Amino acid sequence: MVKIKKRKLGGAEIPTSSMADISFLLLLFFLVSTVIDVDTGIGLTLPEYIPEEQQEVAPLSKDRLAAILINENGDVLLNKEIIAIPQIKENLTERIRSKIDQPNNKKLVVSVKTDRKTNYNLYIQALDQVKGAYFQVREEYAQTRYGKKILDLNEEEDKDMKDKIPMIISIAEPEKIDK
Amino acid sequence: MKFEKKRASTKQEIPTASLPDIIFMLLLFFMVTTTLREVDVLVQYTLPEAKAIEKIENKRLISYIWVGKDQKIQLNDNLVKLEEIQKIMYARRVALPNVIVSMRIDKGSDMGIVTDIQQELRKADARRINYSARLSN
Repeated sequence: MVKIKKRKLGGAEIPTSSMADISFLLLLFFLVSTVIDVDTGIGLTLPEYIPEEQQEVAPLSKDRLAAILINENGDVLLNKEIIAIPQIKENLTERIRSKIDQPNNKKLVVSVKTDRKTNYNLYIQALDQVKGAYFQVREEYAQTRYGKKILDLNEEEDKDMKDKIPMIISIAEPEKIDK
Repeated sequence: MKFEKKRASTKQEIPTASLPDIIFMLLLFFMVTTTLREVDVLVQYTLPEAKAIEKIENKRLISYIWVGKDQKIQLNDNLVKLEEIQKIMYARRVALPNVIVSMRIDKGSDMGIVTDIQQELRKADARRINYSARLSN
Protein backbone atom coordinates (compact mmCIF):
# COMPACT_ATOMS: atom_id res chain seq x y z
CA MET A 1 0.00 0.00 0.00
CA VAL A 2 1.15 3.36 -0.88
CA LYS A 3 1.56 5.64 2.03
CA ILE A 4 0.06 8.99 1.50
CA LYS A 5 2.51 11.57 2.46
CA LYS A 6 1.23 14.39 4.51
CA ARG A 7 1.87 17.66 2.86
CA LYS A 8 4.18 19.76 4.85
CA LEU A 9 2.67 23.04 5.85
CA GLY A 10 4.56 26.26 5.72
CA GLY A 11 4.85 28.39 8.83
CA ALA A 12 1.28 28.81 10.05
CA GLU A 13 1.37 32.23 11.62
CA ILE A 14 -1.17 34.96 11.89
CA PRO A 15 0.31 38.28 10.95
CA THR A 16 0.05 40.38 14.05
CA SER A 17 1.91 43.47 13.02
CA SER A 18 -1.29 45.35 12.25
CA MET A 19 -2.94 44.36 15.52
CA ALA A 20 -1.56 47.43 17.26
CA ASP A 21 -3.00 49.70 14.59
CA ILE A 22 -6.40 48.09 14.85
CA SER A 23 -6.52 48.43 18.60
CA PHE A 24 -5.34 52.00 18.33
CA LEU A 25 -8.30 52.71 16.09
CA LEU A 26 -10.66 51.13 18.59
CA LEU A 27 -9.10 53.15 21.37
CA LEU A 28 -9.51 56.35 19.40
CA PHE A 29 -13.12 55.54 18.71
CA PHE A 30 -13.84 55.12 22.39
CA LEU A 31 -11.95 58.24 23.29
CA VAL A 32 -13.98 60.27 20.86
CA SER A 33 -17.38 58.81 21.59
CA THR A 34 -17.29 58.93 25.37
CA VAL A 35 -17.87 61.74 27.77
CA ILE A 36 -15.26 62.17 30.40
CA ASP A 37 -16.56 65.37 31.94
CA VAL A 38 -17.90 64.87 35.41
CA ASP A 39 -21.17 66.37 36.43
CA THR A 40 -20.48 69.20 38.75
CA GLY A 41 -22.93 71.62 40.18
CA ILE A 42 -24.74 72.91 43.20
CA GLY A 43 -26.76 70.22 44.91
CA LEU A 44 -30.02 70.97 46.62
CA THR A 45 -33.08 69.18 47.90
CA LEU A 46 -36.37 70.81 47.05
CA PRO A 47 -39.07 71.06 49.70
CA GLU A 48 -41.96 68.63 49.55
CA TYR A 49 -44.88 69.72 47.45
CA ILE A 50 -47.83 70.74 49.58
CA PRO A 51 -50.95 72.11 47.93
CA GLU A 52 -51.65 75.70 48.76
CA GLU A 53 -54.67 75.03 50.95
CA GLN A 54 -52.71 72.83 53.30
CA GLN A 55 -49.73 75.09 53.64
CA GLU A 56 -48.94 76.30 57.08
CA VAL A 57 -46.81 79.23 57.91
CA ALA A 58 -44.17 78.19 60.34
CA PRO A 59 -42.92 81.23 62.22
CA LEU A 60 -39.18 81.68 62.25
CA SER A 61 -37.43 83.98 64.63
CA LYS A 62 -35.55 86.80 62.96
CA ASP A 63 -32.39 85.67 64.60
CA ARG A 64 -32.45 82.38 62.71
CA LEU A 65 -33.34 83.67 59.31
CA ALA A 66 -31.07 84.99 56.62
CA ALA A 67 -33.32 86.03 53.80
CA ILE A 68 -31.78 86.75 50.44
CA LEU A 69 -33.91 88.53 47.91
CA ILE A 70 -32.87 89.10 44.33
CA ASN A 71 -35.02 91.28 42.13
CA GLU A 72 -35.16 91.51 38.37
CA ASN A 73 -32.65 94.35 38.19
CA GLY A 74 -30.06 92.27 39.96
CA ASP A 75 -30.28 94.11 43.28
CA VAL A 76 -29.69 91.87 46.25
CA LEU A 77 -31.14 92.26 49.71
CA LEU A 78 -29.85 90.35 52.71
CA ASN A 79 -32.14 90.84 55.67
CA LYS A 80 -33.52 94.01 54.11
CA GLU A 81 -30.15 95.57 53.52
CA ILE A 82 -28.71 96.11 50.08
CA ILE A 83 -25.62 94.02 49.56
CA ALA A 84 -23.36 93.01 46.69
CA ILE A 85 -23.33 89.34 45.79
CA PRO A 86 -19.64 88.73 46.65
CA GLN A 87 -20.29 90.02 50.17
CA ILE A 88 -22.90 87.40 50.98
CA LYS A 89 -20.34 84.78 51.88
CA GLU A 90 -18.53 86.93 54.43
CA ASN A 91 -21.78 88.00 55.97
CA LEU A 92 -23.11 84.48 56.34
CA THR A 93 -19.95 82.78 57.59
CA GLU A 94 -20.09 85.04 60.62
CA ARG A 95 -23.65 84.05 61.38
CA ILE A 96 -23.19 80.35 60.69
CA ARG A 97 -20.15 80.26 62.92
CA SER A 98 -22.01 81.84 65.82
CA LYS A 99 -24.64 79.08 65.60
CA ILE A 100 -22.37 76.04 65.66
CA ASP A 101 -23.02 75.30 69.32
CA GLN A 102 -26.70 76.12 69.28
CA PRO A 103 -29.29 73.32 69.40
CA ASN A 104 -30.75 72.03 66.17
CA ASN A 105 -33.87 74.14 66.19
CA LYS A 106 -31.85 77.31 66.45
CA LYS A 107 -29.56 76.83 63.44
CA LEU A 108 -29.45 79.36 60.66
CA VAL A 109 -31.95 79.08 57.84
CA VAL A 110 -30.96 80.69 54.59
CA SER A 111 -33.81 81.53 52.33
CA VAL A 112 -33.29 82.55 48.72
CA LYS A 113 -36.09 84.27 46.90
CA THR A 114 -36.19 85.66 43.40
CA ASP A 115 -38.55 87.34 41.00
CA ARG A 116 -39.71 85.57 37.89
CA LYS A 117 -37.63 87.89 35.76
CA THR A 118 -34.43 87.51 37.75
CA ASN A 119 -31.48 86.27 35.78
CA TYR A 120 -30.63 82.64 36.48
CA ASN A 121 -26.92 83.34 36.56
CA LEU A 122 -27.38 85.77 39.45
CA TYR A 123 -29.35 83.20 41.37
CA ILE A 124 -26.56 80.65 40.92
CA GLN A 125 -23.98 83.21 41.99
CA ALA A 126 -25.94 83.93 45.16
CA LEU A 127 -26.45 80.23 45.88
CA ASP A 128 -22.77 79.69 45.25
CA GLN A 129 -21.96 82.27 47.90
CA VAL A 130 -24.26 80.61 50.41
CA LYS A 131 -22.76 77.19 49.73
CA GLY A 132 -19.29 78.68 49.86
CA ALA A 133 -20.00 80.13 53.29
CA TYR A 134 -21.17 76.77 54.60
CA PHE A 135 -18.19 74.96 53.13
CA GLN A 136 -15.82 77.44 54.67
CA VAL A 137 -17.29 77.10 58.14
CA ARG A 138 -17.32 73.32 57.82
CA GLU A 139 -13.71 73.35 56.75
CA GLU A 140 -12.77 75.49 59.74
CA TYR A 141 -14.72 73.24 62.07
CA ALA A 142 -13.08 70.09 60.73
CA GLN A 143 -9.71 71.74 61.04
CA THR A 144 -10.08 72.99 64.61
CA ARG A 145 -12.02 70.03 65.99
CA TYR A 146 -10.27 67.15 64.27
CA GLY A 147 -7.28 68.75 62.61
CA LYS A 148 -8.24 67.21 59.31
CA LYS A 149 -9.65 68.30 55.99
CA ILE A 150 -13.32 67.61 55.31
CA LEU A 151 -12.51 64.87 52.84
CA ASP A 152 -10.33 63.04 55.37
CA LEU A 153 -12.97 62.85 58.07
CA ASN A 154 -14.30 59.42 58.90
CA GLU A 155 -17.99 58.66 58.86
CA GLU A 156 -18.66 59.51 62.47
CA GLU A 157 -16.79 62.79 62.39
CA ASP A 158 -18.43 63.71 59.13
CA LYS A 159 -21.84 63.12 60.66
CA ASP A 160 -20.97 65.19 63.69
CA MET A 161 -19.83 68.03 61.47
CA LYS A 162 -23.01 67.87 59.41
CA ASP A 163 -25.06 67.83 62.60
CA LYS A 164 -23.30 70.84 63.95
CA ILE A 165 -23.38 72.79 60.71
CA PRO A 166 -26.39 71.65 58.71
CA MET A 167 -27.05 73.31 55.39
CA ILE A 168 -30.57 74.56 55.59
CA ILE A 169 -31.27 76.40 52.39
CA SER A 170 -34.84 77.16 51.65
CA ILE A 171 -35.95 78.03 48.17
CA ALA A 172 -38.87 80.29 48.84
CA GLU A 173 -42.19 79.73 47.14
CA PRO A 174 -42.13 81.98 44.06
CA GLU A 175 -44.43 84.94 43.78
CA LYS A 176 -47.65 84.07 42.06
CA ILE A 177 -48.25 87.43 40.47
CA ASP A 178 -47.01 88.93 37.19
CA LYS A 179 -46.21 86.04 34.93
CA MET B 1 45.06 56.86 13.79
CA LYS B 2 41.58 56.08 12.77
CA PHE B 3 38.93 55.41 15.32
CA GLU B 4 36.44 52.80 14.64
CA LYS B 5 32.98 53.15 16.00
CA LYS B 6 31.93 50.49 18.36
CA ARG B 7 28.77 48.85 17.34
CA ALA B 8 26.61 46.63 19.39
CA SER B 9 26.24 43.24 17.90
CA THR B 10 22.62 42.91 18.94
CA LYS B 11 19.70 43.77 16.76
CA GLN B 12 18.51 47.35 16.95
CA GLU B 13 14.80 46.78 17.08
CA ILE B 14 12.19 47.68 19.59
CA PRO B 15 10.16 44.64 20.41
CA THR B 16 6.61 45.45 19.39
CA ALA B 17 4.99 42.14 20.06
CA SER B 18 3.42 43.35 23.30
CA LEU B 19 2.21 46.65 21.89
CA PRO B 20 -1.29 45.38 21.06
CA ASP B 21 -1.66 44.03 24.57
CA ILE B 22 -0.74 47.34 26.10
CA ILE B 23 -3.15 49.19 23.92
CA PHE B 24 -5.90 46.71 24.61
CA MET B 25 -5.33 47.36 28.27
CA LEU B 26 -5.76 51.08 27.68
CA LEU B 27 -8.84 50.41 25.62
CA LEU B 28 -10.37 48.28 28.33
CA PHE B 29 -9.63 50.92 30.91
CA PHE B 30 -11.45 53.53 28.91
CA MET B 31 -14.35 51.24 28.17
CA VAL B 32 -14.83 50.49 31.83
CA THR B 33 -14.42 53.98 33.21
CA THR B 34 -16.51 55.98 30.80
CA THR B 35 -20.15 56.10 29.97
CA LEU B 36 -21.33 56.38 26.42
CA ARG B 37 -22.92 59.58 25.28
CA GLU B 38 -26.52 58.55 25.45
CA VAL B 39 -28.52 61.51 24.35
CA ASP B 40 -28.27 64.19 21.74
CA VAL B 41 -28.69 67.57 23.23
CA LEU B 42 -31.21 69.48 21.18
CA VAL B 43 -30.93 72.82 22.88
CA GLN B 44 -28.19 75.40 23.03
CA TYR B 45 -26.95 76.42 26.41
CA THR B 46 -24.04 77.87 28.33
CA LEU B 47 -23.66 76.80 31.93
CA PRO B 48 -23.17 79.35 34.67
CA GLU B 49 -19.95 79.32 36.64
CA ALA B 50 -19.60 78.77 40.36
CA LYS B 51 -16.95 77.99 42.95
CA ALA B 52 -18.58 75.94 45.68
CA ILE B 53 -19.57 73.01 43.52
CA GLU B 54 -19.78 69.31 44.19
CA LYS B 55 -19.47 66.25 42.02
CA ILE B 56 -22.41 63.96 41.52
CA GLU B 57 -21.05 60.60 42.50
CA ASN B 58 -23.46 58.22 40.95
CA LYS B 59 -24.00 58.85 37.28
CA ARG B 60 -26.63 56.18 36.88
CA LEU B 61 -29.05 58.02 39.12
CA ILE B 62 -29.08 61.17 37.07
CA SER B 63 -31.86 62.46 34.90
CA TYR B 64 -31.05 65.52 32.89
CA ILE B 65 -33.10 68.57 32.18
CA TRP B 66 -31.77 71.10 29.74
CA VAL B 67 -33.12 74.58 29.26
CA GLY B 68 -31.77 76.35 26.23
CA LYS B 69 -31.30 79.94 25.20
CA ASP B 70 -34.71 79.90 23.51
CA GLN B 71 -36.38 78.51 26.65
CA LYS B 72 -36.89 75.11 25.13
CA ILE B 73 -36.92 72.29 27.67
CA GLN B 74 -35.34 68.94 27.03
CA LEU B 75 -35.89 66.11 29.46
CA ASN B 76 -33.42 63.25 28.98
CA ASP B 77 -33.79 62.61 25.25
CA ASN B 78 -36.80 64.56 24.10
CA LEU B 79 -37.98 68.10 23.95
CA VAL B 80 -40.91 68.35 26.32
CA LYS B 81 -43.52 70.82 27.39
CA LEU B 82 -43.53 72.10 30.91
CA GLU B 83 -46.71 70.22 31.80
CA GLU B 84 -45.26 66.89 30.72
CA ILE B 85 -42.36 67.00 33.14
CA GLN B 86 -44.38 65.90 36.12
CA LYS B 87 -45.67 62.71 34.49
CA ILE B 88 -42.32 61.66 33.05
CA MET B 89 -40.39 62.42 36.17
CA TYR B 90 -42.90 60.63 38.36
CA ALA B 91 -42.51 57.45 36.30
CA ARG B 92 -38.79 57.86 36.50
CA ARG B 93 -38.90 58.39 40.23
CA VAL B 94 -40.99 55.25 40.77
CA ALA B 95 -38.46 53.22 38.81
CA LEU B 96 -35.51 54.82 40.53
CA PRO B 97 -36.41 56.11 43.99
CA ASN B 98 -33.35 58.26 44.61
CA VAL B 99 -33.10 59.88 41.24
CA ILE B 100 -31.07 63.07 40.99
CA VAL B 101 -32.16 65.68 38.51
CA SER B 102 -29.29 67.56 36.97
CA MET B 103 -30.50 70.90 35.72
CA ARG B 104 -28.45 72.26 32.89
CA ILE B 105 -29.88 75.66 32.42
CA ASP B 106 -28.59 78.40 30.19
CA LYS B 107 -27.20 81.19 32.28
CA GLY B 108 -29.23 83.80 30.47
CA SER B 109 -32.55 82.25 31.47
CA ASP B 110 -35.13 83.86 33.69
CA MET B 111 -35.91 82.42 37.08
CA GLY B 112 -39.54 82.08 36.00
CA ILE B 113 -38.94 78.97 33.94
CA VAL B 114 -36.62 77.57 36.58
CA THR B 115 -39.19 77.87 39.34
CA ASP B 116 -41.84 76.42 37.04
CA ILE B 117 -39.69 73.37 36.45
CA GLN B 118 -38.94 73.11 40.13
CA GLN B 119 -42.63 73.18 40.95
CA GLU B 120 -43.20 70.35 38.49
CA LEU B 121 -40.38 68.36 40.02
CA ARG B 122 -41.77 68.89 43.48
CA LYS B 123 -45.14 67.63 42.32
CA ALA B 124 -43.41 64.58 40.88
CA ASP B 125 -41.60 64.18 44.19
CA ALA B 126 -38.21 64.14 42.46
CA ARG B 127 -36.71 66.55 44.89
CA ARG B 128 -32.98 65.96 44.70
CA ILE B 129 -31.69 68.41 42.18
CA ASN B 130 -28.36 69.74 41.09
CA TYR B 131 -27.86 73.02 39.32
CA SER B 132 -25.17 72.14 36.87
CA ALA B 133 -22.35 74.67 36.86
CA ARG B 134 -18.78 74.86 35.71
CA LEU B 135 -15.92 75.64 38.01
CA SER B 136 -14.87 79.25 37.64
CA ASN B 137 -11.30 80.30 38.02
